[in-house]
Amino acid sequence: MSQIFQYFVNGLVFSSIIVLGSVGLSIVYSIADFANFAHGDTMTVGAYGALVTLPTLSGIGGELLGLPLGFYGALLVGMALAAAIAVVTELTIYRPLDTDAIGMLITSIGVAFVYRAALQATFGSDFRSYSIERSGPIPGIENALNVTITERATVMIVCAIVLVTALHLLLQYTTLGRKMRAMSDNPELARVSGIRTDRVLLATWVVGAALAGAGGVFLGLYSQIDPRIGFDLLLIVFAAVILGGIGSVYGAMAGGLSIGMVHEFTPLLTDVGIPIGTDYASAVAFIIMVVILLVRPSGIAGGEAT
Amino acid sequence: MSDSDADPPDDGAKGGGGARSAAEATDATDSPLEAARGTSGIGNRVTAFMDALTGPERNIVSAIATFVGLLVLATVFGVIRPAYLLYLLSLAGMYLLLSMGLNVQWGYTGLINFSVAAFFGLGAYGTALMSSSDAPILGNFPPILGLFFGLALAGILAVLIGIPTLNLREDYLAIASLGLAEVVRVFVTNEGQWTGGAVGLSGIPRFFDGWPVLGNLSRGVPTAAANLLLVTTFVVVTYLFLRRVHRSPWGRVQRTIRADEDLAKALGKDTYRFKMESFVLGSMIMALAGVFFAHLQLFLSPGVMLPTQTFYVWIAVILGGTGSDRGAMFGGFVIIAIQEGTRFIGGGLPIGPGPLRLFLIGVIIIAIIRYRPEGLLPPQRELVWPGASSDGGDAND
Repeated sequence: MSQIFQYFVNGLVFSSIIVLGSVGLSIVYSIADFANFAHGDTMTVGAYGALVTLPTLSGIGGELLGLPLGFYGALLVGMALAAAIAVVTELTIYRPLDTDAIGMLITSIGVAFVYRAALQATFGSDFRSYSIERSGPIPGIENALNVTITERATVMIVCAIVLVTALHLLLQYTTLGRKMRAMSDNPELARVSGIRTDRVLLATWVVGAALAGAGGVFLGLYSQIDPRIGFDLLLIVFAAVILGGIGSVYGAMAGGLSIGMVHEFTPLLTDVGIPIGTDYASAVAFIIMVVILLVRPSGIAGGEAT
Repeated sequence: MSDSDADPPDDGAKGGGGARSAAEATDATDSPLEAARGTSGIGNRVTAFMDALTGPERNIVSAIATFVGLLVLATVFGVIRPAYLLYLLSLAGMYLLLSMGLNVQWGYTGLINFSVAAFFGLGAYGTALMSSSDAPILGNFPPILGLFFGLALAGILAVLIGIPTLNLREDYLAIASLGLAEVVRVFVTNEGQWTGGAVGLSGIPRFFDGWPVLGNLSRGVPTAAANLLLVTTFVVVTYLFLRRVHRSPWGRVQRTIRADEDLAKALGKDTYRFKMESFVLGSMIMALAGVFFAHLQLFLSPGVMLPTQTFYVWIAVILGGTGSDRGAMFGGFVIIAIQEGTRFIGGGLPIGPGPLRLFLIGVIIIAIIRYRPEGLLPPQRELVWPGASSDGGDAND
């Protein structure tokens, strides 16, 4: 039983990365109206942004939730860098294009390759990791609940909850959020009603890419960093988005949580005697996505709009 | 390779040879006479052939001729070995096959298939497992059986991917196919007891092993020439087959689906069935390329299924011109230029060959969609039954 609870906690940790990725992907999907295959590499950009600034910022004293304050600074830098790159890409590459959603999709693959080539040329393709000391499981929780969870894992979960809540407040209670929802509903109608759709689109890229950047930083915190991490995760993130129903932000949250759980519950299959190892965790997530496509193509959230 | 002196780019959209510019029409009326008069001279034939082409085609034929000419020159002067030249040409032929396969799906029916690498890999692993002396299962069968096994595997996978996705929005197929391709790659990497796993699979015989004459060739140039012959056969057979198929009523339905699926449905066509047929056919052509690759390299590792491989083929298709088999031929040469060229120019640049290749793929994709979305050689005569065009038949037909 405690083993299952442990899987659940692992699932929460991994989900916090997937949710940040899938929510950002979904918001861009619904407003810019194409499947952005560069989203995974945007996450990688965020991870490298934090990697570069962490040594400079680690001088800042103080700790929060067991991690040095400098890490949170690096997190913000990673998010800002991802957002800046996304805005530049939108202005220089996507905006001048005169093509349909499929043309945009294919272009975004080109963009993904350019991002990755730039990172690989600058940093090489070796694994790197953040210069933060690894600490063991938090003793209090381990004793009380018999579950191991590290401090960095708690930071990831807490930050993901904070960011997703912030997005919820932004979408529901601010003017920008209302404009974004209007645009995702019907871009033409939004434009005739006086919304400056190109500005809202830029804001969308900022929000989506910043969340992706945060996801990338946590991904680096979770394991190690190399130029492929984002692209490798992209498919799982897409699975989460499809599971939630393309274009639905709240669906993407639910989808991200479910896919993250499935990913981390895969060892259970071996425990109960099904010979599917953890190497297949992503594959299992995918098969579930395909099954969902078969029975409920509009996703578990039923295709409700943002 | 600009089209400044060429036809208006919408030439293809108007439906082929009949819509050529005035200058082209004059050329076309002159050329049969010239060709008839000068059948003795090769020069005249070349002139007649060039006259029958459109402006962009001429530029590209010249570009390919220059490229091949440079390669031949480099061979003559000993910069590259003759066997390597033949090997490069065989690889170009293999990419041509892959592009023709993707053209069936994307070019004619409009299906976004991002699992090219998986079908290619399945074809390669199918024949390798059947024929390799080191294969963990099967093994030591003649390669010709492997060919059918590889094609069958690819066909089955295509049906499995197609069932859940072909009825949905087109971007679902893009995502699902890329994902399932990764599942296949992970499977091949992890199930070493069946596939040889991450270390790879060696001991693959040459395709012609056991054949009367072709089986006993010495290594080096004769073998490389035999491989080139094999891939040329595959390409020609596939090309003729596809040309026939796409001019049939079946092909017309496929193009209708690409243009407007609702229209095809309104005409009473079972578009799901047609899409499935197109998906399976294209995937099996990709597997054929994989079969050739296995017997060319004689060694396989799961790396052949990396997504990058898929996007090379995508470049070949969209660069050449979606739906255009002549375009695919050009695209094949460009891929070889990127893949092999980056090995040679790597030294002088601050960027390694790996990232440089990625960068080139990315920039080419972005540039095509931005500046020439219809590709360099948009389809024209592919879609027209010979004799249906006003100038009655072309040099190519």
